[in-house]
Amino acid sequence: MTTTLSVPVLPALDQGRAGLANQVRSEWTKLRSVRSTWICLVIVFVAGVGLSALVSNIEAGQWSHLGLADRASFDPVRFSQTGSFLSQFVVGVLGALVVTSEYATGSIRTTLAITSKRTTVLAAKLLVIGAVILVVAEVTAFASFFVGQAVLLAHGAKALPPGSSILTQIRSATIPYVSLADGGALRAVFLSGVYLFLLALLACAIGFVLRHTAGAIAAFVGVLLVLPLIVSVLPSSVSQSFEKYLPSNLGLAMTLVTTRKTDFAGVLFTPWTAMALLALYAVVAMVLASWLLVRRDA
Amino acid sequence: MASPGQSVISAVGLSKSYGSTRAVDDLTFEVRPGVVTGFLGPNGSGKSTTMRMVMGLDHPDAGTATIGGRRFGDLRWPLREVGALLEAKAIHPGRSAYNHLLAMAQTNSIPKARVDEVLTMVGLDGVARRKAGKFSLGMSQRLGIASTLLGDPGVLLFDEPINGLDPEGILWVRNLLKSLAGEGRTVFVSSHLMSEMALTATDLVVIGRGRLIADTTVEDFISSNTVATVLVRSPETDRLASCLGAAGASVRTREDGALLVTGLDAPGIGDVALAQGVALHELSPVQASLEEVFMELTSDAVDYHGQTAPENHPVHPDPQDPQDPQDLRGRGAPAPPPVEEVA
Repeated sequence: MTTTLSVPVLPALDQGRAGLANQVRSEWTKLRSVRSTWICLVIVFVAGVGLSALVSNIEAGQWSHLGLADRASFDPVRFSQTGSFLSQFVVGVLGALVVTSEYATGSIRTTLAITSKRTTVLAAKLLVIGAVILVVAEVTAFASFFVGQAVLLAHGAKALPPGSSILTQIRSATIPYVSLADGGALRAVFLSGVYLFLLALLACAIGFVLRHTAGAIAAFVGVLLVLPLIVSVLPSSVSQSFEKYLPSNLGLAMTLVTTRKTDFAGVLFTPWTAMALLALYAVVAMVLASWLLVRRDA
Repeated sequence: MASPGQSVISAVGLSKSYGSTRAVDDLTFEVRPGVVTGFLGPNGSGKSTTMRMVMGLDHPDAGTATIGGRRFGDLRWPLREVGALLEAKAIHPGRSAYNHLLAMAQTNSIPKARVDEVLTMVGLDGVARRKAGKFSLGMSQRLGIASTLLGDPGVLLFDEPINGLDPEGILWVRNLLKSLAGEGRTVFVSSHLMSEMALTATDLVVIGRGRLIADTTVEDFISSNTVATVLVRSPETDRLASCLGAAGASVRTREDGALLVTGLDAPGIGDVALAQGVALHELSPVQASLEEVFMELTSDAVDYHGQTAPENHPVHPDPQDPQDPQDLRGRGAPAPPPVEEVA
């Protein structure tokens, strides 16, 4: 290795100070320069579109055997968003890794020792992972929607008349499919992407709180998978009042277009209320993360 | 950059505990620009903790650490003002050296071209696109050093920068540190190897168990802490010993019969021997090595002794000990084997 001893001069900067825009550029470089990012994003898209095609195909094949109640809850939008059951964990892993991989290698100390405000680092990480997940999740949600409807069409599905109710759907002899113009469809698909966006922010914040990859992912999976199981073994009088607050059920509420009444979680929140609640969870986690990041030794 | 003589890194009453362990205890010192300042102490003596507090990573329980009079959090372009290499292996293993440095540069509005410049400087330009996880410890150290130079800062901190380097790399780091200081920068470099600091540093901050032991120059540190010893061989050891004792010297007898004399220099011993008619077969001054001075000073301040470490290190050198590193000052001799745990 050839080396020199003279340090080339770098023109000084007398103006301004290292700020959020600088940190955002840096965090984007970090995110795009590791392979796990791209693997996770590809999984989100492929799982979204692939599962939409698969599930829509299976459900369409079942239509002729369905009873009235099942036809009433036949939800072409939700079938197309099945991939988010898988994507929510992928997004959580990615959101946590953005933070915990730096704690695992110790490079978080390099990051914090080149910027004067720790909250800038937290804000930049949330902005970058949030923006990337929002874009990928929305693209995936809409692509999945169109693929799902195309599959239903291939099974001979017919569009419901504009403004039609669930009753029309039940009486309909053919498989229904929806367009984005139909009641609630655009909102449901959009919020399906927002759900993953909010989960990524939540996971990133958990990463700052726990500072450990395995711990953060376990906590995230625990909230989405284990917490519902625990709540479900409580007496139904108790669990009924809790279940609609679970993040997984908020996600469901955000993407339902047919009925908000479920046999397992009672009546869910309206879509926008559900989104606001999930956003509140993420904000609480972010505030806790910020408080701990500033207070703790790095 | 600050003008010479003015202190740049400053610690005042710095204290830090982890649970019941006092890592740093009321530490006060100053580091001036233009020279390399060695930060010396046994492993676990609080060097890294102190450096982390200077860099704003750990919060002191008491006291302050400042860079150019300001706390780390008040620096406007931190990477352009202070470059620190604290952990060489603290790099995402899947990220290339180039992208690692680019992400750092972007935080402080440092242009892309600068990344290539510093990579070339440390000799990593050929492997810039390779994953940093595949780097040897020596290459990681070079990458870490490159990152400290990104912002062309006036203040530089290095925590054990020669760990893992080959002899060629060690020489390069030594010369680089001196050259950086020669440009008027403030260079603060920690090590547990006294001999290494003797070759590189001008000033010394010595700590043990988190407490300040010495804040001085290397020269003063040696002269004020070494006791001149003379090795004497004679066929009439006992008589000579008592005569030397009468002349005010203190004398120890070694197992092989040689005398180790302090308190009287070689000419003085020769005069005594002549006056008493005692033949001398050997009369040689022995200089205590820096390693021994350092160990003597920090022996009470070492938390973890190696199994073979004697309870009290002799301040007098034993010239028969083949391990004994002689004074390495000013010599291009290879560094002695690392003294882990001050064993």
